[in-house]
Amino acid sequence: MPHITLGRLPFENLKRKPFRTAALLVIVTMLSATFFGGAMLALNLNAGLDSMQKRLGADLMVVPQNTGAKAEALLTSSTSSTFYFTNDIDSLVSKADGIAQSTVQTYISSLTADCCDEQVQIIGFNPATDFVIEPWITSEYDQTLETGQVIAGANINVSTSGTIKLYDHEFPVAAQLATTGTSLDNSVFVNQETIPRIVGYSAQVGHPAIPEEYADTAVSAVLIKVADGYSAEQVADNITEASGLDGLGYVYPGGITATTKTNLSAIVGYVALFLAAFWVMGVVVLLAVFSSSTNERKREFASLRIMGATRGTLVGLIVKESALLGLIGGLIGIALASLVIFPFSTLIGRQLQLPYLQVGVPTTLGLMAAGLVFAVVTGMIASVASAYRLSKPETYLMLREGE
Amino acid sequence: MKNKLIASLPAIILGALTAIAPQTFAHACAGHDVPGACHYSALAASGVGVVIALLGVASLFVGTRERIGLNIAVVINALLVLAIPTVLIGVCQGAMMHCRMVMLPTLMVLGALTIVFAAIALVMDAKSTNAAATRVR
Repeated sequence: MPHITLGRLPFENLKRKPFRTAALLVIVTMLSATFFGGAMLALNLNAGLDSMQKRLGADLMVVPQNTGAKAEALLTSSTSSTFYFTNDIDSLVSKADGIAQSTVQTYISSLTADCCDEQVQIIGFNPATDFVIEPWITSEYDQTLETGQVIAGANINVSTSGTIKLYDHEFPVAAQLATTGTSLDNSVFVNQETIPRIVGYSAQVGHPAIPEEYADTAVSAVLIKVADGYSAEQVADNITEASGLDGLGYVYPGGITATTKTNLSAIVGYVALFLAAFWVMGVVVLLAVFSSSTNERKREFASLRIMGATRGTLVGLIVKESALLGLIGGLIGIALASLVIFPFSTLIGRQLQLPYLQVGVPTTLGLMAAGLVFAVVTGMIASVASAYRLSKPETYLMLREGE
Repeated sequence: MKNKLIASLPAIILGALTAIAPQTFAHACAGHDVPGACHYSALAASGVGVVIALLGVASLFVGTRERIGLNIAVVINALLVLAIPTVLIGVCQGAMMHCRMVMLPTLMVLGALTIVFAAIALVMDAKSTNAAATRVR
């Protein structure tokens, strides 16, 4: 018979009642998995939103008629598309009042090229005038992007030789950007001079992205930063008036961010509500189980008192048992939630259709520690009532009650 | 009996899932003209999954010492499940490809869980073998 010390007693008590211990562990595990998983989800969504806000630097996008939805999808989800103006929209737009800065971009959706490659969004931009993509790219690639080179988003499959195949042509990749959690991760960026070449390659493979007569001039969107004192809507009206084009499409990235934020708040709110309800239920169940088991263990506690254990020792025993349950359940719960949250993060982001960016290691470790503390504290809260009752009655009464 | 179930049921269930998942919900990328790495990873993982499930079934009909051996084999096969899509064969490179987004993490999770359960069964069986040896002495 092994010698059991007072320090090992809580562990031995849990071991001697495997069914009760397993049932309590299941509850604590579910609580901590929900807490950690829910909190991680909320943090990743917030990180995604922050990233999206940084990337949507324009106040207004002018796009061709009936392509507003496509342009919005291009900004918010991974849907790639091709659309373009056939006129000189840049000079028409620049006549309007209230424009502080403007730049043009061209969007081309690639073909599904090689085996295991998927459609990517090709974004042509003008490094000289761009104020949306260029500052972000410059933070990671400080050289000039040559004509014919591409900068690849984080999710783009770059070959070991440092190229990407688009329209059966190998483009050298100058740099690959860090993950943003937005649709830009599935995009490649080229300067505007590269666009006619891409159109040429697409024509050679029999799928012209843009008719070749527009290859040099095609522009998909004019991105505008409005001047102080103007609203994006006012500037849109001014553009309609100045250009004389009634059918222009307008996209307001600020509005998209606000909508995303609203959707995100709703999801985070539901997660928090579910977590709170689940936690209350869990604590009630744990309280009930601890209380009933304390009732059943009155003889055991009375015996310990007769052997010299103080009331404080008994209270300590109960609290240690519950803390131990919290610790083990917390570890299992966090491990289980991690098995879903981390390996499937790309899938989760895709299914949510919201910007989703995995937070860094320090934050994750911090949240794991918080999850463990949460599980231990929850276990301890559940034992408070039992501990209080144990600290009250005298040994004789306790022994008699237990008969 | 308890040890027997702990040693065999997880291996049967997780092995069956490892065999089924790459052929169903966690399938390889579709629409290839020429089968890619993910296709062969899916086939190999399914085969190893069948082996794990069969080892689990065998654990139901043998003694404690043999179960220890079978669970060591389960651990080695589970390591293969982890190695097939990562080191040995691989999956498609594109981060948004179905095989990388679904098949790879599913096999990782199933492989990890199989190792954990087999290790628990190993420890339990090793303990009961030691206890039996002590009683005999």
